[in-house]
Amino acid sequence: MEKHSGSGITALRPSSSFVGLRPPSQRRRILDAMIDCCAEKTYPGTTIAELVRRGSVSRTTFYKLFTDKRDCFDAAVTLCIDRLGEALATGASGCDSPAEATRRGIAAGLGLLAAEPRLALLLAGDVLGVDPTQVDRYGQMLGPTLARMWAEAGEPTRRHSSPGLAFGRAQLLVFHEVAAGRAERLPALAPNIVYLAIVPFAGHDEALRQARLAKDDPPVEVPA
Amino acid sequence: MTQTTGGTGPLPRGKHGLPREEVIRSQRERLLTAAAKVCAERGFDATTVASILAEAGVGRESFYELFEDRRACVLEAHRVLLDDLIERVRVAYTGSGEWVERCRATIAALLDWFAADPLAGRFLLVELPAVGPEFHERFEEGFDRFVAVIDSGLDPDLPEPEPLPATSLAVAAAISRVYGEVAAGRTEELPTLVPALTYEVLVPFLGEDAARAAAFVEVPQAG
Repeated sequence: MEKHSGSGITALRPSSSFVGLRPPSQRRRILDAMIDCCAEKTYPGTTIAELVRRGSVSRTTFYKLFTDKRDCFDAAVTLCIDRLGEALATGASGCDSPAEATRRGIAAGLGLLAAEPRLALLLAGDVLGVDPTQVDRYGQMLGPTLARMWAEAGEPTRRHSSPGLAFGRAQLLVFHEVAAGRAERLPALAPNIVYLAIVPFAGHDEALRQARLAKDDPPVEVPA
Repeated sequence: MTQTTGGTGPLPRGKHGLPREEVIRSQRERLLTAAAKVCAERGFDATTVASILAEAGVGRESFYELFEDRRACVLEAHRVLLDDLIERVRVAYTGSGEWVERCRATIAALLDWFAADPLAGRFLLVELPAVGPEFHERFEEGFDRFVAVIDSGLDPDLPEPEPLPATSLAVAAAISRVYGEVAAGRTEELPTLVPALTYEVLVPFLGEDAARAAAFVEVPQAG
C-alpha cells in the first residue's frame, strides 16, 4: 500500500490499477475489505454497505459471491488460514528436522502477522466472538501436521502436554500483542511459540532448547 | 448472576424509607447483573437498554442517570465481574503453603468461579468480543492483571525457564482451557479439570516429571 508515489489525481486511485500487477478479483477485494473492516471495527461493526464501498463492487456482485455477511466472514477466515498456512509451509520448506522446520515456519508465520496484524486480529479475535467452533478448524489443521512431522522423524509418542491447549495458548499470546497494537513485536514471541509448538511432541527439555535457539534465529523478512 | 450482586431483588415499591444512596446502589447492581445476564443469554446485539431495564426492573430515567448507554453499562458489568474473579484468584494464590499447592488452589478457585455461574463466564469470555474494538484493550488489560497477580507470588527458588515467560504461558493455558469449556457449555465439569490444568500450567516452570508429581497428587477433600 506504500506504492503511491504518484501525485495529483493518480494518488487517489487504488494502487492495483497502476502498479502493473493483475488487479485482485472482486471476491478477493471483498474479502480484504472484510479483513480490514474487522480489524478496525470488529465483526459486529462491519456492514455490507461498507464492504461493498471498500471493495469497489456493487451490492449485486456481493450477493452473487456470498449469501450474507457471515458467509463472507467465513470465507475471509479461510483466506487468513490459507495465507498463514502458506507462510508456515514456505518457512519450513527445506528444513532437515522437525525442530528446525517448526522454528523456521513459526518465524515466517510471525513475520507475516507482524506485517499484517489484521490477519491475527481476525483469526485470534473476531473468530472467537463470531463462532468459537471456527477456531477448531485451524487448530485441527496445525496439530496433526506437527504430530505427523514428529512421527515421521521417529520421535516416539509420549504423554506430554496437550497440543490443543498449546495451540490455544499460542493464539492468546499472539492476540495479546495485536490487541495492544504491538504487532511489530510479534517476532519476539518466536521462542514462546516455538516452545508451545514443540512441547506436546518432544517434551519440555527439547522445547526449551529449541526456544533458546529461536531466540537467536534471525527474524524473517516478509515482502510487503 | 449471583456474583455481581449477591442476588438483590427489586426493592419494595412506594415508601420504603431507604436512603437514596442505598436505592441508587441497588439499582446500579441490578442493572449490571441484568446487562451481564441478557448479554450472556442473547448476545450483545440484542442487549438493548429496554431489555436491560426489563430484566432489572429499573426505570429508563434511572438507567441514564447511571450509564451513558448500553455499551457503557455492559463494559462496567464486565469490569465488576473481572474484578471479582481476579480478587478470588488473588486470595487463593496468596494463601499459605508451598508454591505448587497455591497454584493448585488458584486453579481450583478459578474453575469453581466459572462453574458456579455459567452465565457470568459466558458473558466474560464469549460474548464480550461483540462490544467492538473496546474488547481489545479489555482483553490486554485483563490478561496483564492475571500475570501481575501470579508474578507477585512466584517462589524465588523456582528454576528460571529462560527465555520463556512462564507466567504468561500459565495465564494463557487457564484462559484457553476455560474458554473452550465455557464456549461449549461444559461448565459443570470444570472443577474436574484441576489436575490436568495444574499439570499444563506447571510444565513450563518445572518440566513434565515434577509437574506430574505435583499436579496428580491425591488431595484430601476438605470438609
